[in-house]
Amino acid sequence: MTSLGSSSSSATEYTVRVPKNTSKKYNLMAFNAGDKVNCSTWTQARMERDMSGRRIYGDEETADGAAGSEFGKKQREEARRKKFGIVKREFKVEDQPWILKVNGKAGKRFKGLKKGGVTENASYYIFTQCPDGAFEAFPVHGWYNFTPQAKHRTLTAEEAEEEWGRRNKVVNHFSIMLQRRFREQERGGDDDDDENEKSGKKKKKGGGRGGDLRIHDLEEDLEMSSDDSDSSLGDDGESKTKSKKDTGKGKAKKKKKRKSSDKEALEDSDDGDYEGLEVDYMSDESSSSDEEPEKGKISKGEDHPKGIDEASESEEESEEEKPNEEEAKEEEEEEEGKKTPVQTEKKKKKDSSGESESSDDSDIDGETASALFMKKRTPPKRGGRGSAGSSRTGSRPGTPSIDSASTSNTLRAAASKLEQGKRPTPGPSADSPAAKRLKMEPSSQSPAPSGKSTPQPPSGKSTPSSSDVQLTEEAVRRYLIRKPMTTKDLLKKFQTKRTGLSSEQTVNVLAQILKRLNPERKNVNDKMHFYLTE
Amino acid sequence: MSEKGEVDLTGAKQNTGVWLVKVPKYLSQQWAKATGRGDVGKLRICKKGNQGKAEVSFTLNEELTVIDGIEDKTVSAPRDHPFTMQTVGGQMLAVFTENSSGQSEERSDGSSSVSGAGAGPDKIALEGVVVQRAECRPAVSESYMRLKRLQIEELAKPVRLSQQLDRVVTSNYKPVANHTYNLEYERKKKEDGKRARADKQQVLDMLFSAFEKHQFYNIKDLVDITKQPVIYLKEILRDIGIYNVKGTHKNTWELKPEYRHYQGEEKTDE
Repeated sequence: MTSLGSSSSSATEYTVRVPKNTSKKYNLMAFNAGDKVNCSTWTQARMERDMSGRRIYGDEETADGAAGSEFGKKQREEARRKKFGIVKREFKVEDQPWILKVNGKAGKRFKGLKKGGVTENASYYIFTQCPDGAFEAFPVHGWYNFTPQAKHRTLTAEEAEEEWGRRNKVVNHFSIMLQRRFREQERGGDDDDDENEKSGKKKKKGGGRGGDLRIHDLEEDLEMSSDDSDSSLGDDGESKTKSKKDTGKGKAKKKKKRKSSDKEALEDSDDGDYEGLEVDYMSDESSSSDEEPEKGKISKGEDHPKGIDEASESEEESEEEKPNEEEAKEEEEEEEGKKTPVQTEKKKKKDSSGESESSDDSDIDGETASALFMKKRTPPKRGGRGSAGSSRTGSRPGTPSIDSASTSNTLRAAASKLEQGKRPTPGPSADSPAAKRLKMEPSSQSPAPSGKSTPQPPSGKSTPSSSDVQLTEEAVRRYLIRKPMTTKDLLKKFQTKRTGLSSEQTVNVLAQILKRLNPERKNVNDKMHFYLTE
Repeated sequence: MSEKGEVDLTGAKQNTGVWLVKVPKYLSQQWAKATGRGDVGKLRICKKGNQGKAEVSFTLNEELTVIDGIEDKTVSAPRDHPFTMQTVGGQMLAVFTENSSGQSEERSDGSSSVSGAGAGPDKIALEGVVVQRAECRPAVSESYMRLKRLQIEELAKPVRLSQQLDRVVTSNYKPVANHTYNLEYERKKKEDGKRARADKQQVLDMLFSAFEKHQFYNIKDLVDITKQPVIYLKEILRDIGIYNVKGTHKNTWELKPEYRHYQGEEKTDE
């Protein structure tokens, strides 16, 4: 501390203090010279740690507990990591970059990355002068290099390469980013539609369904087989798969899909769409498949007059609409809840029909059973249908379709009355162990005797057409025991000329009798047949 | 109270000027030993009049020159440390502080004893802008040279050392008739006995409650949980469950879909 010789030198001494207990950690914020950052112009600033690295380093959390989790998965994962010597780097909050936002939303953004190796060999201190003239020295805890972040849109690497290739040709450089922005907008808007379309068309249902639902295996099989069987129908099949697939995506989209699928169906095969409506003895080959695109139409058409058969059909179809929107199991439950008698009996008949050889049995239509059964039934039916078609018409005393159309209006009431009467009673009986029944169903694909199946009188017998003069319960019972008949058939037996009753009266009386008798139901060729067993 | 993330800009507005000084390690260690208010030395600034160049030098306090850990008493830290002044350049260096409330630890320089992630919100404040950079160099002296030499020797020593032993090490493993662990194991096995078949319904109950917790189970884990013989258990499982052969959950058992009722899955069953 020798004083210098020059006259105008002045030496001042200051004490240096290193404060001990300070909770403040001093850090350095370094900006690039070119950025020309001036701290004094900042009005307000926000700074926080950038925690985006946490999920890269953090463990991927699989579903904890219940669905999708394995017993002891965590321990196994840990053991596996140790075995392979994988050491995870800790996520240290201290080392994470800073995000500095200056002057609010419209202002600048900076990212501050920690500079390593600052405190290793030498320590940096910040000397600040205190009001009393002494210096206080604070150690620097970390050094962060802050760089401004671009807010404007940038090109990705691929796009940049593209543009590089075109650099000699492109004159208007402004248009590059404009186009990119435009493309992004388009992509965002059409994203949903595109996804649906593509996944519906390209991927098979299994792939498309992957993320959405876990669907019963059986349904997978069914739908797969339906795919195959319906592939010949082309768009109808596609539309069906689409409508099936959309269950997970919500009803709104489904309706949209259905419209588009409907449109598609319309465009391609208009003829086939209406085949299923008037069903008497026309070939039913396309009925089940055309049903689904028609469901929309049919559900609307429920209001206007239909025959009993169609009424029952449509009720079941409307049921099927709902199940299609939910999962397979719920479907059955719903049906059981709402239309228990019909369904259980149909199922029964299904099982029993499988075993008995009669032509009637083989003609059971899928559309009146749950959707679960429908698809599987369709292929086997096709084979049997051709042969049975003729025999069916033969066994039934020639029921021309015109007849049915004319009597349908009056029979509707009878049918609906009957069904309402039947609904509440067999309710509890149908709720027998669902597991058992559900187990039964998968196995009932191949005809299997079920406990509930009732032996059917072989209906191949041709009935001697003994017409009863009187419309009595006895008579009806006799008819029904002998052979399953539809209401139309029954009415024909009791012709108004013979019984002396008007057609209305006949209908009413018949309805009452049937209510009393409570016959079993069976569906043959889209028509509801009644029968009794003694 | 400033909310989390809000930066206190008072320092920037006042344009407080600070110095950034690079200090050698041994000096920072000595400073850490400072007692009392933290007085470590004196800073002397000589302004050379017209030229404007300043000479700055730091003198370490007497008591802090003693270095611990070195036996040689002649070696001590030098006292004189001239500063080499440098300009900041175009670079803009600001100083901000982070105050982690609730977990303040005594900060000693150099050692970064961070108290984990701050429990409370961190208060960030801008203290000022660096106006001058400096490097603290020790004035060259004999004692400094000796100090340095010692340091280098310390660092040159290898971390690991091979040492020859005179005698055989016998204290680690001694032969034992039967390990205690083995004895325990055998005893436990005998006591527990073989697994007996419990009532099927009970087993089913156990299985269902187990599957409520997790969806997929290994057969071994199930045997452990239910304490049933494997064959019997497998029979029961075949009834109510399915065996995943492929997929992500390989070789695991899970309940059949009709028995499942998971919240995570979208379908509901009974």
